[in-house]
Amino acid sequence: MTAIDPEVLQLAREEAEERIASIEKALLAVEGGSADDDAVNGLFRDAHSIKSAAGMLGWKDAAAVAHLMEDIFDDCRSGEIAIGDQIDELLQSLDSLKGAVPGGAGEAAPAPQTNGHAPPEPAVASASSSQSIRVPAPKIDRMLDAVGETVLHQRRLEHLLADEEAGDAADETEEELDRGGLLMSELHDSVIGMRTLPLSSITAPFPRAVRDLAAAEGKDVALEITGEETQLDRVILEGLSEMINHLIRNAIAHGIETPEEREAAGKPEQGRIDLHAEQREGMVAIELLDDGRGVSADVLSRVHEGSSLTEMLATPGFSTAAEVSGVAGRGVGVDAVKDHVEALGGSLEIQSEPGKGMRVIMLLPLTLALLRLLMCRRGSQIFGLPLTSVREVVKAADRVSLGGRQSLQLHGEAVPLEDLATALGGAAAELPDDAPAMVVASGGRSVAIQCDAVIGDQEVVVKSLGPLFAGVPGYLGASIQGDGRVALIVDPNHLVRRPNPVRQTMPVAAGESAPEARRVLVVDDQFTVRELQRSILETAGYRVCTARNGREALKELTRNDVEAVLTDAEMPEMNGFELLTAIRADPDHESLPVVMVTALASEEDRKRGAEAGADAYIVKEEYDQHALLDVIERLVGR
Amino acid sequence: MTEVKVRVLAGGEHYALPVTFVKEIAELGELSPVPGAPSQVLGLRNLRGQVLPVVGLAEVLGLDGAESERVVVVEDDGRQLALALQAVVEVEKLSGEVEEVDSPYLEGAVLVDGALVGLVDVPAVFESLIPDAATPSAPLEAA
Repeated sequence: MTAIDPEVLQLAREEAEERIASIEKALLAVEGGSADDDAVNGLFRDAHSIKSAAGMLGWKDAAAVAHLMEDIFDDCRSGEIAIGDQIDELLQSLDSLKGAVPGGAGEAAPAPQTNGHAPPEPAVASASSSQSIRVPAPKIDRMLDAVGETVLHQRRLEHLLADEEAGDAADETEEELDRGGLLMSELHDSVIGMRTLPLSSITAPFPRAVRDLAAAEGKDVALEITGEETQLDRVILEGLSEMINHLIRNAIAHGIETPEEREAAGKPEQGRIDLHAEQREGMVAIELLDDGRGVSADVLSRVHEGSSLTEMLATPGFSTAAEVSGVAGRGVGVDAVKDHVEALGGSLEIQSEPGKGMRVIMLLPLTLALLRLLMCRRGSQIFGLPLTSVREVVKAADRVSLGGRQSLQLHGEAVPLEDLATALGGAAAELPDDAPAMVVASGGRSVAIQCDAVIGDQEVVVKSLGPLFAGVPGYLGASIQGDGRVALIVDPNHLVRRPNPVRQTMPVAAGESAPEARRVLVVDDQFTVRELQRSILETAGYRVCTARNGREALKELTRNDVEAVLTDAEMPEMNGFELLTAIRADPDHESLPVVMVTALASEEDRKRGAEAGADAYIVKEEYDQHALLDVIERLVGR
Repeated sequence: MTEVKVRVLAGGEHYALPVTFVKEIAELGELSPVPGAPSQVLGLRNLRGQVLPVVGLAEVLGLDGAESERVVVVEDDGRQLALALQAVVEVEKLSGEVEEVDSPYLEGAVLVDGALVGLVDVPAVFESLIPDAATPSAPLEAA
């Protein structure tokens, strides 16, 4: 058989998936009594089309299942059997059909990928209407880049204009600029529009999920979805499906009561879940309502002043179900959902009335491509913070110091105070006492971040920092300023999570020196080992000097102030044991921490090392970067 | 070996970059340092609307850094970075016996006009900078 063009295969897969989704929707409609008379004909046509395509493409299993379903639908069409009696069997067959489409999203247990490549991204489901288009995200991003540049072009023009003396000609130029500005913002909006998809692109699996979960719990639940046409950023949609799924599981497991309980409480036996989406004040609000038991009055009474129900429910490990059921895990969920929503620049709110139900509101940004930032200056550099995370800007006057850490008295509460430069692991000239502080809140925690000056807010196109910075925490991306310079966008989550500064390698402003970092001497005869250890230690904020053997190491110790030595055991000229003995014999270094690293796991060596006075011993085969850092941190006393 | 290379000066020594990886040569430009980044990363630079990481070639190779004045933008497997270096010497066909060199970032060295020119292994430079298999954030627990 000749190979089939992968693009054709992909299209066939997508078509099959769309038809499977359509069958599922129709079956659930039949079950719910809302299907029209023509439903069976539609089901037959879908099954028939899948069968034909699968046959041509050589998907034998899929063809066989689709054939079976086609036969059943045909019998239903002729009135031989009633379709209402077959729903469970048909849904099960549909599941096997999903799994039988090769490479499809529902394909059963794909072979694990061992070559380090990520599995292909599942195609984003799209509405099957002929008006919808599929656009590869990278193309849109490229277009967005181009448009962003045009915006910058305008800013540059504005700069030029500002420098010139104003005259008649300048007035006209300004008029022209206004027109250009309008045009560009229009262009910008249209491209942003291409990044978005309606909520309906992810809601297809929910009715089925509700049906199956409710059945598993012995409950009767109806799901109503409204505002499905609301547009959301594709990237937000990807994670949203998982979050909604989780909230639905929570609502069914913890919220909605059994039919008996509901009857006793004077409620209709069938529980309701409403999923609603709408645009609200430049954000998208997604609400999930259930008419279940809500949180108990006891739980509500435990929500103390200054806190909220959302914060309480998002406490890791908190669960509203007395017993942990099979459906939703213990309390996991609300905190994970909250973290996720906040990471996207949104917020989560939960309201509940005992006995009446619960309302979960997710407020999400319209798009991730544009972000409103509060810009500030630290040293000679400009930084931006997502405006949604900044509560207020204050003069850092009313400060207290406790245990060496500074905090601010704000509205009767102590908020930790930190220098932006220190928080990011850099350094800059010392701040005046009354330097402004931005009060940043995220995940229920607050911190006051000091900088040289707060510049103002700005809407920016977010540029990714790329894979090179995947290991550098603290940044959401970068944006290009009107003057062409790059401003870093700081992650508010990072600011509130860092209790003390560990990292330090880069001065914030060129020409200003960083405070002394602790220095570690790495001794090994192999270049690759030295470089590996150097990079691990430098990434953790240490400074590193190296030597190729014991003799060089002793020379290095006379030149540099070293706080710990990491040495190989076997080396030419002077080995690690001899080095250790020499270090201990030197009154200047007799208490210098020394860590031995060796390929030999023998008890003999360990003993030899301990006798010579090694502080710690790491075996190469067992070596991982965390173990190494733990040992060094312990010895250096960070 | 015969290949077209871009010969550059970094840390006072001569190195060669395969022309197939080189996208562009530009001025060093204005850099925004990234606090917390590895020391080889000198900062970020805006190149016509694109934000590029600037990495010191001398710093990667462990040489004493001399002031960089130019960047060579290199691309591998869809990733891009700007290598900061002192100067671009020449674009030329380099040929000759490749000698082995003890560096993970060099494929070897060739003798040109009596001086050794290190052959930079561009993919290895990328690999050394990108933390191993960047761990994605933990997915929501579906219980």
